Amino acid sequence: MTAPLPKRIIKETERLQTEPVPGISAQPHDDNARYFDVMVQGPDGSCYEGGVFSLELFLPDDYPMTPPRIRFLTRIYHPNIDRLGRICLDVLKNNWSPALQIRTILLSIQALLGAPNPEDPLNEAVAKQWKENQGEAIKTAREWTKLYAQPKQ
Amino acid sequence: MKFGQEYQRVLATQDFPEQWRESAIEYKHLKKCIKKIHQELQSLGLDADTLRQMSEWVGESQAEQNDSKGYYSAATPSLASVPEEFTPQLRVLVDKRTGMPLDATLAPDTKSALQKLAKHEMMSAGRRDYLGASTPSNHAVRKSSVVGDTMEGTIMEAEDARWVQVPLASAKDFFDLLEPKLQDLEILRTAETEKLEEDILDLGDAVENVVQPVREGYEATRKLSYRDLYFWREMFRLYTENPIFYSGTESRRGALTFNEAKSRLQAYDAQLREIGLLEKMKTPQAKRAAQQFLDLNVNILRIMHFQEMNARAMTKILKKFDKRTHLEGQLFLKNLRTKYPALLTNSGKQSQMQSAGGFANSIARDLSAEIATKVLAIVPQPEDWDCPVCYSMAWRPVSLGCCRSVFCIRCIIKLQDEGMKRCPVCNQESVMKADGRNIDFEAMDFLQKYFPMETKKRQKENEKAALVRDYGEGFVKSGCAMQ
Ligand SMILES: [Zn+2]
Ligand SMILES: [Zn+2]
Repeated sequence: MTAPLPKRIIKETERLQTEPVPGISAQPHDDNARYFDVMVQGPDGSCYEGGVFSLELFLPDDYPMTPPRIRFLTRIYHPNIDRLGRICLDVLKNNWSPALQIRTILLSIQALLGAPNPEDPLNEAVAKQWKENQGEAIKTAREWTKLYAQPKQ
Repeated sequence: MKFGQEYQRVLATQDFPEQWRESAIEYKHLKKCIKKIHQELQSLGLDADTLRQMSEWVGESQAEQNDSKGYYSAATPSLASVPEEFTPQLRVLVDKRTGMPLDATLAPDTKSALQKLAKHEMMSAGRRDYLGASTPSNHAVRKSSVVGDTMEGTIMEAEDARWVQVPLASAKDFFDLLEPKLQDLEILRTAETEKLEEDILDLGDAVENVVQPVREGYEATRKLSYRDLYFWREMFRLYTENPIFYSGTESRRGALTFNEAKSRLQAYDAQLREIGLLEKMKTPQAKRAAQQFLDLNVNILRIMHFQEMNARAMTKILKKFDKRTHLEGQLFLKNLRTKYPALLTNSGKQSQMQSAGGFANSIARDLSAEIATKVLAIVPQPEDWDCPVCYSMAWRPVSLGCCRSVFCIRCIIKLQDEGMKRCPVCNQESVMKADGRNIDFEAMDFLQKYFPMETKKRQKENEKAALVRDYGEGFVKSGCAMQ
């Protein structure tokens, strides 16, 4: 017997469907309500504009005492996201608080796309490029977005 | 159906009080006025084309008086101030001595008609000066060095030209008829809002009365009314879920139109009937209060209907005014908005969504807020007491003292077990020093009285969780604590 889904997860999932966040969607799997398919649109005005990025999100057993586990599935050129799609974001690590939600975390990730921070890199190579030749880095990010993050028809 | 007819029909057939009807905009009459203005303008040789051209002269710069480039304006000269009486005036730049209009493109007939009027105005203005009265306009002399095409680059010096304001008698009639009605409608809005606010307070008392015994604690009367409390909660939950007059969601904020509000109220009523909530209520007081609640909503709907019809009448008639006279009645509207901040017109430009127009909008907004704070708030909903961590009722309630958040005791224990020192909401290091003294007894008392069923259930869950924590999962599963 699997443990019943905590009320908190049920309520969060409900709210994600009834009051969706613009540019973000999160759909739980039918056979595992703790596992979500996530789509995040690149913010307007950023070098990820026009891209639709898919991510996977998993709520561990001790959620919300521990943060959701989340990574990019779509390849992305970003100093705070590594080749495996792992994200360097404070609220997913030390600054996690159980009062945060899936919704707020996804918003933070969207904001991270709008404001890459090469000073706190996860992907050293990209961060180096970002610091030394920002124009070139942004160009690459745009190209990758075109190449990998196109919405499926 | 033409709007004029629809308007008359609604006024005639709806059950509006006589006093309201007297405040209603006289649509038909205003229409006749517009005809007269049209005739007066024609007699001055000002046909639609000429007027349009004159307005174009001034064009965009109307807003900024200082760099007004035009020589003519059909608009009111002082937009920034709110004059007591609005009269659209023809402003004509004329030769200071002869009173001859300076726009060369005007037809000779029009020119001489305007000259006659201008001269008359200049003379009476001169008389007023002589008598020591202040000149009504500060636009009489204007240094205008910018010149349109027709002036062929001639620089006009202020000494040679002056602005003359030519009043239009029939246009004045139009606004003299419209303006007092708006004043009446505003007075009506205030009066009705106040009256309904009284009703809301009364209703609040009645609802409080109905749920009162529950607050008294575990007495004999409790059994009866505690069920009523849950009926009321359901009634209010449905009401908040689908707001009738004013929508506050992200995608749509604003007052709903009368038609929408009406169908929502009907749907709500049908919903209540279907559940049979009113019949289920135990005490006669509870039934009475429920009826009072529904009546209040009907009354709000009625004043919204009346005000909205009037708002539509005003918008339509001003549109007609503009179309027929080109005197820019929209400026009148701008003036009105400054004068009556409660008057929101439904421009329909900012959003695709229709919303209630005129005074109906603020009535819907104000009274919805009033109902929420004075009536709905009397019966708290369980969501208001969710623990920010587990989203279940914060039972037993614990306040950490760092912020106003109330958590359930289980979550605080869990946080301490995990060594998470910071308050999940405000991030202060307040978790570890929490102990029995942090139990919020006031909140506990409140929750027990308003949520007797929920707190009981939570209590059981807590007890089970405590056993799991102290003795492990297996203890609870095999033991009799698991039901
Ligand atoms: Zn909790
Ligand atoms: Zn706090």
